[in-house]
Amino acid sequence: MLPSLTLSVPLFLLLASGIAMFGVDLPRFRREKLAAFPVGLAFLGSLLTLYLVTEQGPIVIRFYNTDSAASLIIPLGFYVDRLSVVMMTLITAVSMLIYIYSTTYMYQDGHARRYLSLICLTDFVLICMVSSSNLMMLFLFWQLLSYLLYLLAHNHTHAGTLAGAFKTFTILRIADTAFLAGIVLAFQLYGTLEFYDLFTRAAEMPVLLSLWPGVEVSGTTAVTFLLFIGAMGKSAQFPLHLWLPGSLFAPTPVHAMLHAGIINAGGFLINRLAPLFGMSSTTLHIAFVIGTLTAVLGASMMLVQSDIKKTLGFSTIGQMGYMIMECGLGAFSLAVFHLIAHGLFKGTVFLYCGNVIHKTRQDPHFPHTDHAIADEPAFSRLTWSTGFATTLFIPLLILLVTHGVLRIPLLESQGTVIILFFIWITSSQAILTLTRLRAVASWKVSATMLVTLLFVVFTYLFAVESFTAFLYPNPEEVASYFKAADLPDWLFDLLILGATGLTVLGWYYLYLRAHGHSVWTPPWIEGLRIRLYPLLMNRLYADESYRAIGLSAKQLIHRIDKLERGWSR
Amino acid sequence: MMEALVPWLLATIPLAGAIMAFTSWEDPERVKKTSMIGSILSLVSVVGLAGFLTIPPNGCLSLYLLPLAALTSILSHPLGNDHRRSWIMTLVCLGFGMGALTAHELSGSFFLMMLLITLIILLYRHHTALWPISWWGVGLLILGLVGMGISMIADPPASSIAVLVTCAVLLPLVPLHVGYLTTVTRLPGNLPSFVVVLLPVIGFQRLPQILATIPEDALGIVRILALLGALYAAVKALAQWRVRLVLGYGSLSFFSIAWWFAATTGFATPQGTLLVGAVSLATSGLLIAWQVIRTRYRDDVDPQAISGLAAAMPRFAVLLSLLGLAAMGIPPFGVFAGFMGLMLTSSQASVFGLFLTLTAWLAASWYIMQMVQQLLFGASRPDLRHTDLLNPELVSLAIVVVVLLALGLVPSALFAPEQPILEQAAHARELSSWRN
Repeated sequence: MLPSLTLSVPLFLLLASGIAMFGVDLPRFRREKLAAFPVGLAFLGSLLTLYLVTEQGPIVIRFYNTDSAASLIIPLGFYVDRLSVVMMTLITAVSMLIYIYSTTYMYQDGHARRYLSLICLTDFVLICMVSSSNLMMLFLFWQLLSYLLYLLAHNHTHAGTLAGAFKTFTILRIADTAFLAGIVLAFQLYGTLEFYDLFTRAAEMPVLLSLWPGVEVSGTTAVTFLLFIGAMGKSAQFPLHLWLPGSLFAPTPVHAMLHAGIINAGGFLINRLAPLFGMSSTTLHIAFVIGTLTAVLGASMMLVQSDIKKTLGFSTIGQMGYMIMECGLGAFSLAVFHLIAHGLFKGTVFLYCGNVIHKTRQDPHFPHTDHAIADEPAFSRLTWSTGFATTLFIPLLILLVTHGVLRIPLLESQGTVIILFFIWITSSQAILTLTRLRAVASWKVSATMLVTLLFVVFTYLFAVESFTAFLYPNPEEVASYFKAADLPDWLFDLLILGATGLTVLGWYYLYLRAHGHSVWTPPWIEGLRIRLYPLLMNRLYADESYRAIGLSAKQLIHRIDKLERGWSR
Repeated sequence: MMEALVPWLLATIPLAGAIMAFTSWEDPERVKKTSMIGSILSLVSVVGLAGFLTIPPNGCLSLYLLPLAALTSILSHPLGNDHRRSWIMTLVCLGFGMGALTAHELSGSFFLMMLLITLIILLYRHHTALWPISWWGVGLLILGLVGMGISMIADPPASSIAVLVTCAVLLPLVPLHVGYLTTVTRLPGNLPSFVVVLLPVIGFQRLPQILATIPEDALGIVRILALLGALYAAVKALAQWRVRLVLGYGSLSFFSIAWWFAATTGFATPQGTLLVGAVSLATSGLLIAWQVIRTRYRDDVDPQAISGLAAAMPRFAVLLSLLGLAAMGIPPFGVFAGFMGLMLTSSQASVFGLFLTLTAWLAASWYIMQMVQQLLFGASRPDLRHTDLLNPELVSLAIVVVVLLALGLVPSALFAPEQPILEQAAHARELSSWRN
């Protein structure tokens, strides 16, 4: 029963795709609505599988012989453990909502059926991807996803859409190539692509690869690094993030699906291969650096965008940066939790953003701007003092207490400390923003905010801990990942000191500015600020650079072509 | 006795079909039908008689692909008086090709020489002053012919080198690739879409006979040429705008990859056959698709003047997209299966070589995608009259897509004995310190 149930989830989605695509048009969108039933059934199937896998353990279905080289080409098989089934449930839930939304949203589109069919097909591919029993099958569906993203751009008669779709496809293919290289290397070194066997052999047989004389890297580092590049592509990590803002013209539900489901593929891949990544501190550190860089750049660029889709797009890039950063810190389960939370949130925001645009067009005063701030007198010293305490110190206290209550071993791993600092900075930033926006930092409001923060932090950490115990029941395994991700002590200290210093300095700066004092800053910082603004607004001129590189490559290719006296003369 | 007779039988069936078709020269429809029946009978005879043949180390996939390619190539071609010769010549080439694939020693060489002579005559007849470079192609086919002749009279290693030259002409290897490009671009009617399968498949099939006897120095040169060729062909494909040249150079890039793996491992594996066969078939399919466009918008149509066919010709669009996916090496089609098979089973490959082959594989995503995108997407041209695929064209392209899919999903177990992977893995571990 279990295997049939597992298989029914992707098959229902395939069936829905077929119903939407084939057959004659039925009146009143009946065919499209009919296809919603298998999509719903797929979600129910996922829920049931979630329950059964939780109770009975992983499900393994293989349609191939693992000892046969000939069957290696397309080794179709399913391995559904807790990680897979959580992803399956997320994907089918989001897909169901998106599908239902799309039937109305695309109502007047001439190619609505093709679009709906492709949505279901993408869901099918995603489900097969997250339940793959080996790296090869995962890669197979990973690549199909790259092409489906090209097709989902939908309006291929529009030049901008087409250019964006082509850019998406080509950038993802670059990442896919690195992924492929990782697979080949993994097979060459360990002789298997089965997840469990791969982890076992990698642990049993440490291999050193000589890149060039005198430079050696471990096999796991080389393999995980290549696979990580693959993950960077799908999860829009710097510098492979360009495709995400480029897909701006796709229908809004596609964005919802992209930001809620597809983009999580990178995080899923790292989690699926967590034991392998856990063997390579170097790759984890690289992931930490790339993730942090992407988070900072994504969030900074988000702040200065004027287009709602681009703003949300860069917000997603920033969030994916956080997620990869969490992986880089060894907090794999936290990354999955983050991607689920972010997926649900961003999916909702995207499905709603059309309404905001619609309202904006109808009501010139929407979105409402709070002009009262300029008219209000500057905050009193007391207000800021209380604000300083309530937004900087008490949140830290709350975090420390919550960690203590939940018995989260704070001092045993650097990752937990860094994440704690991260939550501290973001929560104080959130309260500060509210304080500044509303300018009503009374004791009552501050207390409400702090209670809310306590509630949120407690719930969040409790949920994260429970989720970690669900995904990785063995605490030693979790600890080993944190251990593998440990940074050099000096770097760790520097990060903590830097984060604290930045937070306090930021506060000091805002405090003085709010009091109307001029804040002395070195001229180079002012200059940098002025230069950074247009740079970030223009998304680091990455699109222009991409275009220039493409043009140069084209010119070079044509020059080479002309040099050679051949057919193209 | 039977083993010696079967190759002649397999060669005779298409040749007899060609004679039958020629007897009804006045009626183009009958010529086409007879040619198709000849191809089908050839395919049936292969299925029936394959058991009597010695299966080569790289499998017998090529045997099935040839008549199939001939069938799809003829079937897709529209009726017309001008096309009769190309249909009949397809059968003639098929006959010689089947003989060259199955017969041993002298008779195999005889069939191959006949095939090369036929192609040279065809190219000579269709030579125009506008394409002076096609003389180079004819010259290289003659070189292949001479190589075959030398191999029949000389002793190893000279004979091996001579066969290697012939193989490099058939399964194109830079700098001997112009013969292949000439056949793809200059042959008349449906012949390019058949010859693009015929020549590489025969070339790869003959490789195992010589790889063991070729001096290591020569193999080293082949490895370098193959790697440079893969990159060179990818760059050339990116620079082209004529569809046949894009496809010619694109397939050359993949064939160079097959050459590199063969020269690196020292033997032609079933995965190599799969790659060569699938690339050939995908290229053939794309040539057929291009033929569809040429049928509608004249022979000298500029591909850059056409766009937005996806809306006007949906059936064509779907099949062209699938063929494009197959040709650029995306799963689950045969090209990907062959490529991955080679990558996974060639543990002796150098990192640098693998990097270049991956680059060539990646480049296909640009030139094939650009070509497909140019034709299918963008603004639709309302001034053009669009007619979607006719039934023969649809069937023909659908067969190619289905076979490519089958080659990807039902891999080498069909045409080669299975190999336990644990031995390979052990071997790989011994070589864990990779060569640079």
